[in-house]
Amino acid sequence: MSSQVSPATKPLPASSSPGSRGVFRAFVAAPEFGPFVLLILEVIVFTVRTPAFLSPGNIGNLLAFTPELGMITLGMTLLMTSGEFDLSVGSVFGFAPVVMWTLYNTHTTSLEAGFLIALVVAAIIGFANGWFVTRLRIPSFLVTLGMLLVVRGTALYITDGFPQRTWTTKSALTKIIVGEISLGDLRIYASLLWFILFAVISGYVLTETKAGNWIQASGGNPEAARARGVRVAPTKMTLFILTAVISAYAGITSSIRVSAANPNSGTSYELEVIAMVVIGGTALTGGRGTIIGTVLGVLILRTMRNGIVLIGVPGLAYNIFIGAIILGMMALHSGLERRHRSGT
Amino acid sequence: MAEELVRMERISKYFGRVQALNDVTLSVQRSEIVGLLGDNGAGKSTLIKILSGALRADSGEIFLRGQKVEMRTTTDAIAHGIETIYQDSALVTQLSIARNLFLGREPVKSPRLFNRLDQKSMNKAAGELLRRVGITKNIPSTTPISALSGGERQSVAIARAMHFESDLIILDEPTNNLGVEETKGVLRFVRSARDSGHSCIFIAHNIYHVFQVVDRIIVLRRGKKVADYIDPKKTTIEEVEQIITGMALDPNS
Ligand SMILES: Nc1ncnc2c1ncn2[C@@H]1O[C@H](COP(=O)(O)OP(=O)(O)O)[C@@H](O)[C@H]1O
Ligand SMILES: [Mg+2]
Repeated sequence: MSSQVSPATKPLPASSSPGSRGVFRAFVAAPEFGPFVLLILEVIVFTVRTPAFLSPGNIGNLLAFTPELGMITLGMTLLMTSGEFDLSVGSVFGFAPVVMWTLYNTHTTSLEAGFLIALVVAAIIGFANGWFVTRLRIPSFLVTLGMLLVVRGTALYITDGFPQRTWTTKSALTKIIVGEISLGDLRIYASLLWFILFAVISGYVLTETKAGNWIQASGGNPEAARARGVRVAPTKMTLFILTAVISAYAGITSSIRVSAANPNSGTSYELEVIAMVVIGGTALTGGRGTIIGTVLGVLILRTMRNGIVLIGVPGLAYNIFIGAIILGMMALHSGLERRHRSGT
Repeated sequence: MAEELVRMERISKYFGRVQALNDVTLSVQRSEIVGLLGDNGAGKSTLIKILSGALRADSGEIFLRGQKVEMRTTTDAIAHGIETIYQDSALVTQLSIARNLFLGREPVKSPRLFNRLDQKSMNKAAGELLRRVGITKNIPSTTPISALSGGERQSVAIARAMHFESDLIILDEPTNNLGVEETKGVLRFVRSARDSGHSCIFIAHNIYHVFQVVDRIIVLRRGKKVADYIDPKKTTIEEVEQIITGMALDPNS
């Protein structure tokens, strides 16, 4: 339905936007523009209210957890662009580290083998989601809601609800995934670098490759896409698997960083992730997606959560702001779309 | 006689108790442009939907170059080189013109890096095609379909059929909603299709348009074929109109 300039349809600077005015107009009309302005506004307001906001300590805090949620949003963006979504990501986020650390702590496998097994289990969960959706044609809302409960229940069942220990290892794997890096006063985790790498790859795949064209077509008009030879079901299946695996990887990252694999962790992340994705300009109904927008959406919500606590707003009020941002951004995106469709 | 490309043999189709097609046989030669005429509800769209895999016949058979084929889905038909352009053309409105033109057959360039799209050549080919189908307005190939008019969308679908050189291109009322230039583009395209060895089935409300471009006219009336092998060069429009409305019979029979 969109008539917005998505990354896929942005005019080439060389051919169709002569001069800097054209580039500027394309930039303002882009769906990422609104989220970009909002993020800048947030940073300005929080910095003015409390200079501590831009201190290395706080930025380090902000960037510790952000990559973990951020990785899930990348998979979710591609999946939503293909016309589906996944409510089981939070459960997989909690379940995968439980699998890995249980295998390791019970001396069943090495940590590395446990890591791989956890990712394979996640891939199977993603495959099951995709199978129910593409083969049995059950809406992804229902399929992944069921999967959310099954996976969370399994995590609680095999742990009796208790967190798994994670601090008895000095494996290189944990350093690679989420080792600490000092840049002067700023301390970040390796997970930030992985997140940036994953974001660049998924943005590239979505806008520059044949697979990206198929993903957008599968979400935009699946019948037309199928008639042209696009393999819609395998495309969606791949994205369900990818989303589950990246959620598992994010959960494992988190478990190493906080030194605990809690079977309850990741609860209700699915809603925050979907909120981040749609705030960035990806359509809930499929066909149009933007990784740049999603990264902005992630930063907007993480900055909001961090900033309002810093300036002394009770953390409990957080959801009021999040809800208001979602509503405001949806109004903006739909307004842009209508304006574009009427030909201005 | 030229080589036969498609033959639909004794096709019948019911919608509930309405018989939309009654024992219709139709054949199209290679490089032949066939005009399919008939009043509203005569069964023209139903017949070509069966050929393009969008509907299944209750009885009858389809032969392609003498081989019996099954058209279960539109994908089957496209794979067999039969391309259909409906009024509601099958485009992905979110994607750009160029991306729609090449959907499913995207050119990739090296280094491949997960099959990198060759967007430069896609956009260039798209621009040339749009000019060929008569979109003279300077629309960049990167424009999303949703920003185009109905006529422009149809022209994009026609451009796609042209580019991928389908053996048989079916146009069901392609000139409805089209502007003068776009209509000329479609008619020019139909004529050029014959020269480049393609076949066409052309359905149009405007009988003058049909007369301008086709080699042969077939007339359906209430689901039955009432005329075949009408040569537009040897027949007047009035005569054909009388056959369509049932006031005259096939001059060849
Ligand atoms: N999907 C359908 N369901 C029921 N009846 C249909 C359907 N499609 C066509 N018909 C009927 O079949 C007959 C032929 O329709 P159609 O092939 O669309 O005619 P034409 O394209 O020549 O105007 C009409 O009586 C029409 O009402
Ligand atoms: Mg019709």
